[in-house]
This record gives sequence, structure tokens and C-alpha cells, in this order.
Amino acid sequence: MISRFKKFAVQQSIYHPKRTLIISLFITLIMATGLNHFVIEDDMMKMIPKTVKTRIVWEEVKDEFGNTELVFVAFGNDSIDLFNSGPLADLWDFTTQLELLPEVEDVRSLTNLNKMENDDGFLLIDDLVASRDLSQQQIQEIKDYLNRNDDISKRVISSKDNFFNVIVIPDKNIADRDAVAKIVETADSLLNNYSVHFGGPSYLIGVVGDLVRDDALFLIRIGLLFMVIILLASLRTFAGVIMVLLVIILSLVGMMGSMGWIRGLTGSDRFAFSIMNTSMPIILMTIANSDSVHFLTKFFKKLRLSGDKKIAIEQSIDSLMLPIFLTSLTTAVAFLSLIFAPIEYMTGYGVSIAIGICWAWILSVTLLPSLIMLKEWPLNSKAVIKPSFLEKLVKKTGFKIVKIPRTILISSLLIVSVGVYGIKLITTEVNMISFFSKGNKVRNSLEFLDDKMLGSMDLEFLINGDLKDPILLEQISQLQDYLEKNPYVSTSVSIADIIKQMHRTVMDDNPDFEVIPKDQKKVNNLYTMYSMSGDPEDLSSLVDYEYSKALLTAILKNHSTEQSVKFVNEIDDYVEQNFTKYNNIIPTGQLVVLKDMVDLVIKSSVISIVVSIVVISLIASFFFRHFGWGFFGVIPLSAAVILNFGFMGLLGIHLNHVTALLSSVIIGVGVDFAIHYISQYRRLANQELAISKRTTSVIDEVGYPIVLDALSNMAFAALLFSEFIPLKHMGGLMVFAMVSTSFGTLTILACTLELISHKKTWMNSLLGR
Amino acid sequence: MKNIFIIFTSILSIIYAQNGLEIATMVDNREVPKDIISKTTMLLTNRKEKTRNSTILSKSSNNGSKQILWFLAPSDDKGVAFLKIEHDNKSDEMRMWLPAFKKVRRISSSKKGDSFMGSDLSYEDMTSRSLEENRYKRLEDETLDGKDCFVLEVLPNDDIKSTYSKHITWIDKGSLIAVKEESYDLGGGLRKKKKFFFESISGYDVINKIFVEDIQKNHTTTLTMEDIKVDSGLDQSLFQEKNLKRLPSN
Repeated sequence: MISRFKKFAVQQSIYHPKRTLIISLFITLIMATGLNHFVIEDDMMKMIPKTVKTRIVWEEVKDEFGNTELVFVAFGNDSIDLFNSGPLADLWDFTTQLELLPEVEDVRSLTNLNKMENDDGFLLIDDLVASRDLSQQQIQEIKDYLNRNDDISKRVISSKDNFFNVIVIPDKNIADRDAVAKIVETADSLLNNYSVHFGGPSYLIGVVGDLVRDDALFLIRIGLLFMVIILLASLRTFAGVIMVLLVIILSLVGMMGSMGWIRGLTGSDRFAFSIMNTSMPIILMTIANSDSVHFLTKFFKKLRLSGDKKIAIEQSIDSLMLPIFLTSLTTAVAFLSLIFAPIEYMTGYGVSIAIGICWAWILSVTLLPSLIMLKEWPLNSKAVIKPSFLEKLVKKTGFKIVKIPRTILISSLLIVSVGVYGIKLITTEVNMISFFSKGNKVRNSLEFLDDKMLGSMDLEFLINGDLKDPILLEQISQLQDYLEKNPYVSTSVSIADIIKQMHRTVMDDNPDFEVIPKDQKKVNNLYTMYSMSGDPEDLSSLVDYEYSKALLTAILKNHSTEQSVKFVNEIDDYVEQNFTKYNNIIPTGQLVVLKDMVDLVIKSSVISIVVSIVVISLIASFFFRHFGWGFFGVIPLSAAVILNFGFMGLLGIHLNHVTALLSSVIIGVGVDFAIHYISQYRRLANQELAISKRTTSVIDEVGYPIVLDALSNMAFAALLFSEFIPLKHMGGLMVFAMVSTSFGTLTILACTLELISHKKTWMNSLLGR
Repeated sequence: MKNIFIIFTSILSIIYAQNGLEIATMVDNREVPKDIISKTTMLLTNRKEKTRNSTILSKSSNNGSKQILWFLAPSDDKGVAFLKIEHDNKSDEMRMWLPAFKKVRRISSSKKGDSFMGSDLSYEDMTSRSLEENRYKRLEDETLDGKDCFVLEVLPNDDIKSTYSKHITWIDKGSLIAVKEESYDLGGGLRKKKKFFFESISGYDVINKIFVEDIQKNHTTTLTMEDIKVDSGLDQSLFQEKNLKRLPSN
């Protein structure tokens, strides 16, 4: 089949280059129309399988108590006293405008708070702020009430009375991105005289997707420019670089368009483009670049030898059809293995990249030779006559390897073993504040909310049991005391607070009674009294309709995922030891669910790596007709994966949903290098080239394209200049992945084969003799 | 006499095309019992079809401006009692007996939009509308469940602190009772749909069932009045704090 396609490719590119060009462009155009159905999905929570326990609990909480993910808006000025009619009127207007937004489910601010007071035996539940325009006396009464109720005060105003805190709950059915845009727009239009800070999980999810994407797109373009410069410096032909670029761009358009088409035709959310997919374009660019660079360098080499364009093209296709097909097949299958990943969204990731890879392969062996055919190549040009500096350097390296293979192999394995150690040091971090560098506007806002206000993270607990039972209410109250001892917890809210406050109010505002009543009948009376005097909806975010489920919400200052996990574990221990009658208390909230998601991403990546290694090994074994080749084929890939994760551990680069997926780049590129190397090695061995010349000849033949490919892909180091830390890490890891994969192929694999080549029996078996 | 009045006003309404205010005035002047005693079942249903059921003994006079209630069921609420006296010029007076605390507590909810007894009816819904505080516009008459109805658009005056921007009310021409009403929030969105059912008792048309649906909260309330007695001569001294503590036998 390969030889038939080889023949077809030669025919089409040599005899019908224009037709091939037009057909390639036309097919890409059809694929591109799929971009009309392209969907961007920013809700990371949707990516978590519905069967994951924390998501089930989280959905249950949202269904029962409404959206629990908050947007915090703090506004004011350092030098202002907000207890004045002007700022209070502004807060009133801002709150009212937010309440009218269809994107907003609820708003909690000073101006829509209820006050609960006992005035001479008169229980009053009323608006704390009666109207927009207030007299000085009314303002003083509000201030006095807040002074008496510190717990309430700190939720709505800073300790120095110079910043209001507004908590906005977006509608759970509206994308965070849309809700946040409206909230920010409202703040911009009404609060332009104040310093405004935003935060909270919904806000971050709402802004991060766009910010990261915009930054990534800009830097990818810069990276592409660097790639062009590197290719130009090495290939020394402008037309050749444009051809490589065209293959890359058409492959990208094909991939994104196909993703859109599948999304449009199936309606499946798995084919939506999320923050996790940010690495997709980079991965495909590296793969398409690899295919084209290998072809172009081979062509120049053959042209140099034969002096005939047609012969050079034919020989290049003949020589590279199998390896490029194999590298594309193995990489595509490796990505398709993401279908088995626990995160359903990875299906779209894997399938779309696989389509892109296949399209890049077809373009590399049809369109690229056609373009080469259409161009006149002066035989006296530098690109044809002289090997580049890089080519000469790689050739020299080949000679070194032949001289000291054992030393190089041992040194390489030692470096890999350091990587094994580093893997143990890897930590997971999903708190999005870690996405932003110090000094970034978003990070500044989050730090402001931590320092001056309550913080902007939340942790929820779903509590199951009889919420009229004083024992459970007392346990909840004690759990809140326990939580609030943690330095990260600013405050917590639960139904126990309301019951305690009502108890005190009913008992003539005696602070001694700000406790849970011991008698259940009293608790019943308090619930009934609230339903008669306040809006029962006020309680709906705290306790369910049947008083069998309650929600405890803790507001926290930003902290790491590691600290969060430790804290949740400590709470589990506390609940186990102290909750005697009721112990069905489940922590939830975005942080807990996100942590689960990253665990799944890691699991997905590990599955992908393992399946890829097995599949690549099997495919290589099948096409190279020996399991030994399959084994050798995955050596550089495995070494690079170990080095990559080890490097992350050693340098303190966290695993998150962006960086965990970078291992895919290694799979994509690492396997390409190894297969090109093995393919050439077998070809030369079968041509009975002397053992002493084999390694140097192979490195001479494929070493240069491998190094050039790796070097040009390193242009994505431009991502190091991103203001988003995961993108910075991605840039750094790209460089490292290129070094480790090319290093793995040209040292470990090359030295291993060099050493084995002297074992005649082994080599004969590998070559099927 | 009352029937003659109703027939007379009905004929008048057909002969003369009254304006909105005139119809509202006719409704306001409708003859009502001096007092009503009923056993009311309140069924609350939330968006997840979960329900809460209460049974209340209610005694009221002066067209509901004085009302005393005792919770009979569920057992958690049994014994809790509530007294409400509406005043024209000051906030309503509300007292509540909490048997577990053995205390009467005066409570207040000057927030008109607050729910009455956890139902979908707010205090504003429960309070009779003053003719002077609203503007009435007559819309095209409609037939509703076989009843000829006036349709009024009721717009609260700008100086009135209402939680609604407008109401559309269907008034049965025969009984001059509102049989359906749609209330809109301040943003203009449909907030509540109410349906009223009535029966004739001792010559009065008395409401015996109210169904309210809060569209935005996806919550419903069904109030069903049984064992209705009218004009039983309730003593005005019944509407006192001391009577909250003792659940009457009848």
C-alpha cells in the first residue's frame, strides 16, 4: 500500500504539481469552512466527567443551593470614608444594576443586606439600608449596626471603611465569561471614580481563557517568526521556508476546521476548544514542521548528489515515504489513544490533532514536492551546493559518537536517572492566581482582596442530616469555629449562624443566647419565625427545602492547592473525630473539583503516554519486522518523558491542566526522530554499509534534519515572554522537549544501536537475516 | 339585596363602558363578609417538586385587616400562632407566639416584597390596594374559564414603594372578584401568576382557593380554605396577644 501511495505521490507531484497544489488548497478550504462551527469553551468544570464524585456533589450543591461560585468586586479608595451619602448611593446603584442583569443570579452587598434586631421585644427583620439617599442619622445607624455585628461587617466593607465588598453570584446557566464581561462593564460604567478590584473563581474562569488565548496567539505568531528566521538561516532558501510555512499553516487550518466540522455535525462538547487545547496548535506546528524539514533537507541532499530536480524529488519521496508515514501514523495513533482518557474532552483534542497530523503528512508528501517541482532551483545556489554550518556540526557529532558510545550512553542514562528522581518532586497547582506573574493586574487585584478584604477563594461543605436537630447545628457551628482557626479562612457562613442570631434576638438580644438552642422545638420555632418575618429565600442558599441538606461556605485567602488538599484532609479528620451522630460532610467547591480535574489530566496523560509507547512500539515492530525495533523506537521518547517531568519536578514547575498535556509534544516529536533514525539505519544496514560507517552515515543523513527541526521548534521559546506562568512554562518545556527528544535520539538511541551493531547475531536477528 | 346589586352592576358595566378606575372602585366596594373563619391548607411546592404542607386555623375580620392564625400541622409548627392587625397610617402590627420559648414576639416586615408565611404571596400581595395609590387602565374584555371578565392594567404610582411595575387583573363581571392576575417585577419581567377560585357562601362570593406561581423562582403555593364560616360574629377582642397562646377548640 505504501509503495502504491509512493508511486501516486511521485506521479502527482512531478507530473501534476499545479493540480496537486489546487486540490490541496481546495480541500483545506473545505475543511476551513468548519471554522464557522468552531466553539470556544471556557467552563473547565464541564470537562470533568459527570461520574467523578466531587463533580456529582458540586452539581448537587448547585442544583440545591444555586450557584456557589462567586465574583468579588471591591471598590473604594485608600483615602475615602465610605460612610457618606455619595459612596453609599453609588453602591446602591451598582448593586441595583447588577441585580437587574439577567446574567446575575444574586448580589450581596451592604445595600441589600437584611438586619435582624430586637428593639424592646420587637423582632425586626428589615433592609439594613432603607433607600438610595440616606440622611446622616440613617448612615450612623447603619454604621452602628455593623459595629455591633463584626461578622456581617467584614463581609461587606474593609476594616478601614474605605473599600466596599460586593459579592456577585452569576447565573449558573450563563457562561462565566459572559457574566464576568457584564459585571466588569457595569463596574466600568458606574465606578469610574473608584479603584476597583475583581476576584473569585468565576471571575478567574471568566477572564483567564481569553487572556491566556490572546497571549498565546500573539506569542505563537512571534514563535513562528523566529522559526522562519532559524529555518532561513539554516536552509538558506526563502522559497523553501515559505513552502514549510505553507504546509504548517494548511495543516493548522485543516485541524481547526475539522474540529469545527465535527463539533457542528455531532454537537458534541468534546470538540469545543478549551484552555486545555491551547497546546494543540503548537504540537501540530512542530509535527508539520518536522515532516517538511525532513523532506526539504533530504531533497537538497539528493539534488546536490544528482543535480536533477525530478530525480531528487523521486528519491526523497522514496526515502521518506515510509518514515514520514510511520511517524505520522504512530503520532496520530498516540493522540487517538486520548479517546480512552478519563476526561471526555480529550477525545476532541486527540481526534483533531490526529486529523491535523494526517493532513500534514499528506501535504508533506504531495503538496511540498509539488511546490518544489514548480520552483526552479539553481544548482549553484548555496542551499544546494554547500552544507550549512549546522549540518557540518551534526556530522562532527556523529564521528564523536562512534568513538565513545559507551561513555555517552552511560552519561545519558545518568542524566535520565536524575530525571527519575525529579519526577518525585512534582507538585500539582490549580489555583489560578499561580497563572499570573507578580505585578500582573489580575494578580494585583487578587492580592488586594487577600490583604484588605476577605480573600477570593471559597470552599464549600455539603452537610447531610436533620437540620432541625440541635446536635447537628451545634456540630456545624463547631466546625465553623475550627475552620476559622485556619489563617487562610476569613469567614464562614451556614444556617447555624442564622439560628444563633435569631436565638439571641428572640432572647432580648442577650449575647449569652447567641448559641444553638438545646431544644429542637425551639429550633423549629425559630425556623417558623423566620419564615413569617423574613424572606424564606434568604435561607435557600443555606438549607434545602426539606431541612435535610445544608451548605457551609468558607471564604478563604489565596493559597496553594497543596495547602488546600492538606486542609481538606485535616477537616476530614476533624469531622471523623467530632461528628458523632452525623458524619456525612463532603467538601466541594471549584478548588476541590479542579484538583480532581488536574488529577484526571495527569491520569489522561499517563494513559496517553503508556498507550502511545505500547502502540508506537507495536507499529514500529510491525513495519520494521522485529520487536527489537519497536523497543528501540520508544527509547528516546521514554527518556524524554522522564527528563521532561523530572525537569519540572526539579525546577518547581507545577503540573496543571496546561503543563500536564505538554508530554504530548514529546510523544509527537520524540517518536518522529526515533523512527527517522531507525528507518535510515535499517536502510543503510540492508545496503550492507560497513558497520564502522553506519552510525556516522545515519547521523549525517538524519541528524541534521532532526537538529534543525528541534532548533526551529525551539522558536516557541517565545512563550517564555508570556505574562501567564503556564505559558512561560510551556515555552520553557518546549525548548526542553526539543533538546531531550533530539538528545535522546542522537545519543541514547544512536549509542545503543552503535553498540549493538557490533553484536553480529543480534543485528542479524534485527535485520531478519 | 346583594345579588340584585351584583346583577345591577353587571348590567351597568355592559351598558356603560366604565373606565379602569370605575371598575376598580366597583371591586373595592364589593360587599364582603364581616368576618371569616376557615381551616386553610397551604401547600408549597418548589422547583424540584418538593413540598411543604401546613394546616392553619384562621379567623379574620374587617376584610382581612385583622387576622389571627394558629398552626395545627405539621407537628414541628403546632402551637405557633400569629396575629396581624393592619393600620392605615403606620406599619402593620404583627405578633407571634413561640410556644417553645413561651414568648410572644412582635415581628415586623416592612419589606413589602417579603413572603407571607413562606408562601409565594408577599405582604404587598396580601394587602388591599388603595385606589389612590394606583392607576387603572381598562384593557379589552376577555372570557376566562367561561366567565366574562374585565381586564385591568394596574400601575402603582411612582411615589409608591412597590415591588411590582404593573399587574394585569382579570375580574369576573358577575362576582367582581379578581379571578386571575399577572404581576410584573420592576424590570418588566413576569414575576407571578395568581388564580383565585370562589364559592357562594351565605350570599357572599368567598374565595376558597388561591394558586400562586412565582415564575422566576419556579415555586408555587396553593391555599385551600375549608370549613368556611362567614359572619359568625367574631368578637373584636379575639384579636389580642393573649389569645395567641391558646389554641381554640373550634
